[in-house]
Amino acid sequence: MTDWLGMAVRPRAPRPDLKQRVMARAIAAGQVRRPRIPLGVAASLLLLSLSVAAVFGGSEVLRLRRERDALAARLAGTRDTLDFLRRPGSRVYQIAFETAGRPGTLTIIADSATHRWLVACHHMTPNAPGEAYQVWFLTEAGPVSALVMPMRDPGPMIAAIPMPAARVVGAAMSVEPEGGSPEMRGPTIFKQRLDS
Amino acid sequence: MTDPQRLSQGDQRRLLARLRARDETALGELYDALAPWVVGLAFRILQDDDEAEEVLGDVFLQIWTRIEQHDPRRGPLVPWILRISRNRSLDLVRRRQRWWARADRAGMNRLLEAEEAPEPGEAGVPGWPVHREVHAALAALPEEQRTVVQHAYFGGLSHSEIARRTGMPLGTVKTRLRLGQQRLEQLLAHVKDWWE
Repeated sequence: MTDWLGMAVRPRAPRPDLKQRVMARAIAAGQVRRPRIPLGVAASLLLLSLSVAAVFGGSEVLRLRRERDALAARLAGTRDTLDFLRRPGSRVYQIAFETAGRPGTLTIIADSATHRWLVACHHMTPNAPGEAYQVWFLTEAGPVSALVMPMRDPGPMIAAIPMPAARVVGAAMSVEPEGGSPEMRGPTIFKQRLDS
Repeated sequence: MTDPQRLSQGDQRRLLARLRARDETALGELYDALAPWVVGLAFRILQDDDEAEEVLGDVFLQIWTRIEQHDPRRGPLVPWILRISRNRSLDLVRRRQRWWARADRAGMNRLLEAEEAPEPGEAGVPGWPVHREVHAALAALPEEQRTVVQHAYFGGLSHSEIARRTGMPLGTVKTRLRLGQQRLEQLLAHVKDWWE
Protein backbone atom coordinates (compact mmCIF):
# COMPACT_ATOMS: atom_id res chain seq x y z
CA MET A 1 0.00 0.00 0.00
CA THR A 2 2.87 2.38 0.71
CA ASP A 3 3.71 2.06 -2.99
CA TRP A 4 0.89 4.52 -3.60
CA LEU A 5 2.45 7.12 -1.29
CA GLY A 6 4.44 8.48 -4.19
CA MET A 7 1.19 9.94 -5.43
CA ALA A 8 0.95 12.08 -2.31
CA VAL A 9 3.38 14.58 -3.80
CA ARG A 10 2.26 17.15 -6.28
CA PRO A 11 3.15 16.52 -9.90
CA ARG A 12 6.07 18.40 -11.34
CA ALA A 13 6.18 18.89 -15.09
CA PRO A 14 9.49 17.96 -16.63
CA ARG A 15 11.05 20.28 -19.16
CA PRO A 16 9.22 19.90 -22.49
CA ASP A 17 12.36 18.94 -24.40
CA LEU A 18 13.12 16.12 -21.97
CA LYS A 19 10.66 13.60 -23.38
CA GLN A 20 12.54 13.15 -26.62
CA ARG A 21 15.85 12.55 -24.80
CA VAL A 22 14.35 10.17 -22.22
CA MET A 23 12.61 8.15 -24.92
CA ALA A 24 15.67 8.03 -27.16
CA ARG A 25 17.89 6.88 -24.29
CA ALA A 26 15.48 4.15 -23.19
CA ILE A 27 14.89 2.84 -26.70
CA ALA A 28 18.60 2.87 -27.51
CA ALA A 29 19.31 0.89 -24.34
CA GLY A 30 16.58 -1.56 -25.29
CA GLN A 31 18.14 -2.13 -28.69
CA VAL A 32 21.50 -3.17 -27.26
CA ARG A 33 19.91 -5.59 -24.85
CA ARG A 34 21.03 -9.14 -25.09
CA PRO A 35 18.56 -11.00 -27.31
CA ARG A 36 16.29 -13.23 -25.32
CA ILE A 37 16.36 -16.91 -26.01
CA PRO A 38 12.90 -18.28 -26.82
CA LEU A 39 11.50 -20.43 -24.03
CA GLY A 40 11.33 -23.56 -26.20
CA VAL A 41 14.94 -23.22 -27.28
CA ALA A 42 16.01 -22.54 -23.69
CA ALA A 43 14.13 -25.63 -22.50
CA SER A 44 15.73 -27.74 -25.23
CA LEU A 45 19.20 -26.45 -24.33
CA LEU A 46 18.54 -27.17 -20.68
CA LEU A 47 17.35 -30.69 -21.50
CA LEU A 48 20.40 -31.27 -23.70
CA SER A 49 22.71 -30.00 -20.96
CA LEU A 50 21.06 -32.26 -18.41
CA SER A 51 21.31 -35.25 -20.78
CA VAL A 52 25.00 -34.63 -21.43
CA ALA A 53 25.58 -34.20 -17.70
CA ALA A 54 23.68 -37.43 -17.02
CA VAL A 55 25.74 -39.37 -19.59
CA PHE A 56 29.03 -38.03 -18.26
CA GLY A 57 27.84 -38.40 -14.70
CA GLY A 58 26.74 -41.97 -15.39
CA SER A 59 30.06 -42.93 -16.97
CA GLU A 60 31.88 -41.32 -14.06
CA VAL A 61 29.77 -43.34 -11.63
CA LEU A 62 30.62 -46.54 -13.54
CA ARG A 63 34.32 -45.66 -13.55
CA LEU A 64 34.29 -44.97 -9.82
CA ARG A 65 32.36 -48.20 -9.19
CA ARG A 66 34.95 -50.22 -11.15
CA GLU A 67 37.75 -48.47 -9.26
CA ARG A 68 36.04 -49.22 -5.95
CA ASP A 69 35.59 -52.90 -6.86
CA ALA A 70 39.24 -53.19 -7.90
CA LEU A 71 40.40 -51.59 -4.65
CA ALA A 72 38.09 -53.85 -2.66
CA ALA A 73 39.54 -56.90 -4.44
CA ARG A 74 43.10 -55.75 -3.75
CA LEU A 75 42.24 -55.13 -0.12
CA ALA A 76 40.67 -58.59 0.19
CA GLY A 77 43.79 -60.13 -1.37
CA THR A 78 46.04 -58.23 1.01
CA ARG A 79 43.96 -59.35 3.98
CA ASP A 80 44.11 -62.93 2.73
CA THR A 81 47.89 -62.69 2.41
CA LEU A 82 48.15 -61.36 5.96
CA ASP A 83 45.96 -64.21 7.16
CA PHE A 84 48.41 -66.67 5.62
CA LEU A 85 51.23 -65.07 7.59
CA ARG A 86 49.35 -64.74 10.88
CA ARG A 87 48.06 -68.28 11.21
CA PRO A 88 50.19 -70.43 13.56
CA GLY A 89 50.08 -73.47 11.26
CA SER A 90 51.60 -71.65 8.23
CA ARG A 91 54.92 -72.83 6.82
CA VAL A 92 57.07 -70.88 4.41
CA TYR A 93 59.17 -72.38 1.63
CA GLN A 94 61.40 -70.47 -0.75
CA ILE A 95 62.66 -72.07 -3.92
CA ALA A 96 65.36 -70.54 -6.13
CA PHE A 97 65.52 -71.33 -9.86
CA GLU A 98 66.53 -69.91 -13.20
CA THR A 99 64.44 -69.14 -16.27
CA ALA A 100 66.46 -68.48 -19.45
CA GLY A 101 69.53 -67.82 -17.27
CA ARG A 102 67.68 -65.35 -15.07
CA PRO A 103 67.54 -66.16 -11.32
CA GLY A 104 64.04 -66.13 -9.84
CA THR A 105 62.27 -67.23 -6.67
CA LEU A 106 59.05 -68.95 -5.78
CA THR A 107 57.78 -68.42 -2.26
CA ILE A 108 55.13 -70.78 -0.95
CA ILE A 109 53.23 -70.14 2.26
CA ALA A 110 51.37 -73.33 3.04
CA ASP A 111 48.40 -72.83 5.34
CA SER A 112 47.30 -76.11 6.94
CA ALA A 113 44.24 -74.47 8.52
CA THR A 114 42.62 -73.52 5.20
CA HIS A 115 44.53 -76.16 3.23
CA ARG A 116 45.79 -73.62 0.72
CA TRP A 117 49.03 -72.34 -0.70
CA LEU A 118 49.89 -68.73 -1.22
CA VAL A 119 52.34 -68.67 -4.12
CA ALA A 120 54.49 -65.64 -4.99
CA CYS A 121 56.82 -65.71 -8.03
CA HIS A 122 59.50 -63.07 -8.68
CA HIS A 123 61.96 -62.34 -11.49
CA MET A 124 60.62 -64.79 -14.01
CA THR A 125 61.48 -64.47 -17.68
CA PRO A 126 58.36 -63.89 -19.79
CA ASN A 127 57.10 -66.94 -21.66
CA ALA A 128 57.51 -67.49 -25.37
CA PRO A 129 54.24 -67.06 -27.26
CA GLY A 130 51.91 -70.03 -26.76
CA GLU A 131 53.63 -71.15 -23.57
CA ALA A 132 53.03 -70.73 -19.83
CA TYR A 133 54.64 -71.71 -16.59
CA GLN A 134 52.70 -74.37 -14.69
CA VAL A 135 53.16 -75.04 -10.95
CA TRP A 136 52.56 -78.56 -9.66
CA PHE A 137 51.80 -80.09 -6.31
CA LEU A 138 53.92 -83.19 -5.94
CA THR A 139 51.77 -85.65 -4.06
CA GLU A 140 52.23 -89.27 -3.06
CA ALA A 141 49.93 -90.10 -5.97
CA GLY A 142 51.95 -88.06 -8.48
CA PRO A 143 51.97 -84.44 -9.77
CA VAL A 144 48.70 -82.48 -9.56
CA SER A 145 48.33 -79.20 -11.41
CA ALA A 146 48.31 -76.25 -9.03
CA LEU A 147 48.50 -73.14 -11.20
CA VAL A 148 49.01 -72.10 -14.82
CA MET A 149 50.90 -68.79 -15.14
CA PRO A 150 51.27 -67.29 -18.60
CA MET A 151 53.97 -64.65 -17.98
CA ARG A 152 53.86 -61.82 -20.48
CA ASP A 153 55.89 -59.32 -18.45
CA PRO A 154 58.62 -59.70 -15.84
CA GLY A 155 56.48 -58.49 -12.91
CA PRO A 156 55.74 -60.55 -9.80
CA MET A 157 52.76 -62.91 -9.61
CA ILE A 158 50.88 -63.81 -6.44
CA ALA A 159 48.03 -66.33 -6.16
CA ALA A 160 46.24 -68.35 -3.50
CA ILE A 161 45.48 -71.92 -4.57
CA PRO A 162 43.66 -74.79 -2.85
CA MET A 163 45.74 -77.86 -2.02
CA PRO A 164 44.68 -81.27 -3.30
CA ALA A 165 43.26 -83.95 -1.03
CA ALA A 166 46.35 -86.13 -1.43
CA ARG A 167 49.30 -85.41 0.86
CA VAL A 168 51.63 -82.89 -0.72
CA VAL A 169 55.29 -83.71 -0.46
CA GLY A 170 56.85 -81.26 -2.87
CA ALA A 171 56.42 -78.64 -5.60
CA ALA A 172 57.50 -78.38 -9.21
CA MET A 173 57.29 -75.93 -12.12
CA SER A 174 57.45 -76.69 -15.82
CA VAL A 175 56.89 -74.91 -19.10
CA GLU A 176 53.71 -76.12 -20.74
CA PRO A 177 51.31 -74.99 -23.50
CA GLU A 178 49.54 -71.71 -22.66
CA GLY A 179 46.28 -73.40 -21.64
CA GLY A 180 48.07 -75.71 -19.20
CA SER A 181 48.72 -79.46 -19.33
CA PRO A 182 47.11 -82.35 -17.38
CA GLU A 183 50.55 -83.90 -16.96
CA MET A 184 54.09 -82.58 -16.54
CA ARG A 185 55.45 -82.93 -20.04
CA GLY A 186 57.37 -79.75 -20.74
CA PRO A 187 60.83 -78.63 -19.64
CA THR A 188 61.12 -78.62 -15.83
CA ILE A 189 62.15 -75.36 -14.16
CA PHE A 190 62.48 -76.96 -10.73
CA LYS A 191 61.25 -79.94 -8.80
CA GLN A 192 61.69 -79.76 -5.04
CA ARG A 193 60.69 -81.80 -2.05
CA LEU A 194 59.12 -79.83 0.81
CA ASP A 195 59.80 -80.89 4.37
CA SER A 196 56.60 -81.31 6.37
CA MET B 1 -2.73 10.05 -27.96
CA THR B 2 -4.90 8.02 -25.62
CA ASP B 3 -6.34 9.94 -22.71
CA PRO B 4 -4.93 8.03 -19.70
CA GLN B 5 -7.71 9.20 -17.39
CA ARG B 6 -10.20 7.21 -19.41
CA LEU B 7 -8.19 4.02 -19.60
CA SER B 8 -10.03 0.98 -18.32
CA GLN B 9 -8.36 -2.03 -16.78
CA GLY B 10 -8.55 -3.63 -20.22
CA ASP B 11 -6.89 -0.60 -21.80
CA GLN B 12 -4.20 -0.81 -19.16
CA ARG B 13 -3.54 -4.47 -19.96
CA ARG B 14 -3.32 -3.59 -23.64
CA LEU B 15 -0.84 -0.81 -22.85
CA LEU B 16 1.24 -3.28 -20.89
CA ALA B 17 1.06 -5.77 -23.75
CA ARG B 18 2.18 -3.07 -26.18
CA LEU B 19 5.13 -2.21 -23.92
CA ARG B 20 6.08 -5.87 -23.80
CA ALA B 21 5.78 -5.98 -27.59
CA ARG B 22 8.29 -3.09 -27.79
CA ASP B 23 5.73 -0.58 -29.03
CA GLU B 24 7.50 2.76 -28.71
CA THR B 25 4.30 4.79 -28.92
CA ALA B 26 3.08 2.99 -25.77
CA LEU B 27 6.18 4.22 -23.95
CA GLY B 28 5.39 7.75 -25.13
CA GLU B 29 1.86 7.50 -23.79
CA LEU B 30 3.12 6.22 -20.47
CA TYR B 31 5.57 9.11 -20.31
CA ASP B 32 2.83 11.67 -20.91
CA ALA B 33 0.78 10.16 -18.11
CA LEU B 34 3.42 9.43 -15.51
CA ALA B 35 6.42 11.71 -16.02
CA PRO B 36 5.03 14.57 -13.84
CA TRP B 37 4.47 12.15 -10.96
CA VAL B 38 7.86 10.53 -11.27
CA VAL B 39 9.56 13.93 -11.31
CA GLY B 40 7.38 15.13 -8.43
CA LEU B 41 8.28 12.13 -6.27
CA ALA B 42 11.96 12.29 -7.20
CA PHE B 43 12.09 16.01 -6.48
CA ARG B 44 10.40 15.49 -3.11
CA ILE B 45 13.09 13.03 -2.16
CA LEU B 46 16.08 14.73 -3.81
CA GLN B 47 15.16 18.41 -3.58
CA ASP B 48 16.96 18.93 -6.87
CA ASP B 49 15.44 19.49 -10.30
CA ASP B 50 18.36 18.13 -12.30
CA GLU B 51 18.60 14.98 -10.26
CA ALA B 52 14.84 14.48 -10.39
CA GLU B 53 14.99 14.57 -14.17
CA GLU B 54 17.94 12.19 -14.10
CA VAL B 55 15.74 9.80 -12.13
CA LEU B 56 13.01 10.24 -14.73
CA GLY B 57 15.40 9.09 -17.45
CA ASP B 58 16.55 6.11 -15.39
CA VAL B 59 13.01 5.08 -14.56
CA PHE B 60 11.82 5.06 -18.16
CA LEU B 61 14.92 3.26 -19.24
CA GLN B 62 14.15 0.58 -16.66
CA ILE B 63 10.50 0.40 -17.68
CA TRP B 64 11.45 -0.09 -21.33
CA THR B 65 14.22 -2.60 -20.77
CA ARG B 66 12.74 -4.46 -17.79
CA ILE B 67 9.00 -4.41 -18.46
CA GLU B 68 8.92 -8.22 -18.29
CA GLN B 69 9.81 -7.92 -14.60
CA HIS B 70 6.44 -6.37 -13.86
CA ASP B 71 4.07 -9.07 -12.67
CA PRO B 72 0.45 -7.90 -13.05
CA ARG B 73 -0.61 -10.49 -10.47
CA ARG B 74 1.41 -8.65 -7.82
CA GLY B 75 -0.03 -5.23 -8.48
CA PRO B 76 -0.85 -2.56 -11.05
CA LEU B 77 1.67 -0.82 -13.21
CA VAL B 78 1.67 2.60 -11.52
CA PRO B 79 2.73 1.51 -8.00
CA TRP B 80 5.48 -0.56 -9.64
CA ILE B 81 6.75 2.51 -11.43
CA LEU B 82 6.46 4.64 -8.29
CA ARG B 83 8.48 2.04 -6.43
CA ILE B 84 11.21 2.17 -9.07
CA SER B 85 11.19 5.97 -8.89
CA ARG B 86 11.47 5.99 -5.10
CA ASN B 87 14.23 3.40 -5.02
CA ARG B 88 16.23 5.17 -7.71
CA SER B 89 15.86 8.50 -5.90
CA LEU B 90 16.91 7.03 -2.58
CA ASP B 91 19.92 5.44 -4.27
CA LEU B 92 20.98 8.91 -5.36
CA VAL B 93 20.36 10.30 -1.89
CA ARG B 94 22.56 7.68 -0.32
CA ARG B 95 25.31 8.44 -2.77
CA ARG B 96 25.61 12.06 -1.86
CA GLN B 97 26.41 13.67 1.40
CA ARG B 98 24.84 17.06 0.97
CA TRP B 99 21.26 15.85 1.00
CA TRP B 100 20.52 16.47 4.63
CA ALA B 101 21.67 20.06 4.41
CA ARG B 102 19.41 20.50 1.42
CA ALA B 103 16.56 18.65 3.09
CA ASP B 104 16.93 20.82 6.16
CA ARG B 105 16.64 23.87 3.95
CA ALA B 106 13.51 22.43 2.42
CA GLY B 107 12.21 21.58 5.85
CA MET B 108 11.85 17.87 6.38
CA ASN B 109 9.03 18.49 8.79
CA ARG B 110 6.94 20.22 6.18
CA LEU B 111 7.28 17.56 3.53
CA LEU B 112 3.54 17.41 3.29
CA GLU B 113 2.49 20.75 1.98
CA ALA B 114 -0.89 22.12 2.85
CA GLU B 115 -3.45 21.25 0.25
CA GLU B 116 -3.57 24.21 -1.99
CA ALA B 117 -5.77 25.03 -4.89
CA PRO B 118 -4.38 23.39 -7.98
CA GLU B 119 -2.30 25.56 -10.21
CA PRO B 120 -3.75 26.22 -13.64
CA GLY B 121 -3.76 23.00 -15.61
CA GLU B 122 -2.54 20.92 -12.67
CA ALA B 123 -5.89 19.31 -11.94
CA GLY B 124 -5.95 18.09 -15.52
CA VAL B 125 -2.79 16.08 -15.06
CA PRO B 126 -3.58 12.38 -15.42
CA GLY B 127 -3.81 10.76 -12.00
CA TRP B 128 -4.79 13.95 -10.17
CA PRO B 129 -7.82 12.29 -8.47
CA VAL B 130 -5.58 9.58 -7.07
CA HIS B 131 -3.16 12.22 -5.86
CA ARG B 132 -6.00 13.87 -3.95
CA GLU B 133 -6.94 10.53 -2.38
CA VAL B 134 -3.41 9.67 -1.28
CA HIS B 135 -2.68 13.19 -0.11
CA ALA B 136 -5.85 13.21 1.95
CA ALA B 137 -5.07 9.80 3.45
CA LEU B 138 -1.62 10.94 4.50
CA ALA B 139 -2.97 14.18 5.89
CA ALA B 140 -5.53 12.22 7.90
CA LEU B 141 -2.81 10.44 9.87
CA PRO B 142 -2.01 11.77 13.33
CA GLU B 143 1.02 14.03 13.00
CA GLU B 144 3.35 11.72 14.93
CA GLN B 145 2.50 8.80 12.61
CA ARG B 146 2.72 10.96 9.50
CA THR B 147 6.17 12.14 10.50
CA VAL B 148 7.65 8.65 10.76
CA VAL B 149 5.88 7.49 7.57
CA GLN B 150 7.33 10.45 5.67
CA HIS B 151 10.82 9.87 7.04
CA ALA B 152 10.59 6.20 6.10
CA TYR B 153 9.08 6.65 2.66
CA PHE B 154 10.55 9.89 1.37
CA GLY B 155 13.76 9.78 3.37
CA GLY B 156 14.35 6.04 3.05
CA LEU B 157 15.48 6.04 6.69
CA SER B 158 15.68 2.93 8.84
CA HIS B 159 13.83 2.75 12.14
CA SER B 160 16.95 3.56 14.12
CA GLU B 161 17.81 6.49 11.82
CA ILE B 162 14.33 7.94 12.29
CA ALA B 163 14.67 7.54 16.04
CA ARG B 164 18.02 9.32 15.98
CA ARG B 165 16.79 12.22 13.85
CA THR B 166 13.48 12.74 15.61
CA GLY B 167 14.62 11.96 19.14
CA MET B 168 11.85 9.35 19.53
CA PRO B 169 12.54 6.02 21.26
CA LEU B 170 13.08 3.21 18.75
CA GLY B 171 10.04 1.26 19.96
CA THR B 172 7.86 4.34 19.51
CA VAL B 173 9.08 4.77 15.95
CA LYS B 174 8.23 1.16 15.12
CA THR B 175 4.80 1.40 16.68
CA ARG B 176 3.91 4.65 14.97
CA LEU B 177 5.12 3.41 11.62
CA ARG B 178 3.08 0.23 11.94
CA LEU B 179 -0.04 2.12 12.97
CA GLY B 180 0.44 4.64 10.18
CA GLN B 181 0.80 1.95 7.53
CA GLN B 182 -2.27 0.11 8.81
CA ARG B 183 -4.29 3.30 8.68
CA LEU B 184 -3.11 4.08 5.15
CA GLU B 185 -4.08 0.59 4.03
CA GLN B 186 -7.57 1.19 5.35
CA LEU B 187 -7.89 4.62 3.79
CA LEU B 188 -6.52 3.60 0.40
CA ALA B 189 -8.03 0.10 0.15
CA HIS B 190 -10.40 1.25 -2.57
CA VAL B 191 -7.59 2.52 -4.80
CA LYS B 192 -6.84 -0.20 -7.34
CA ASP B 193 -5.24 1.86 -10.01
CA TRP B 194 -5.21 5.48 -10.89
CA TRP B 195 -6.98 4.97 -14.18
CA GLU B 196 -10.17 3.79 -12.53
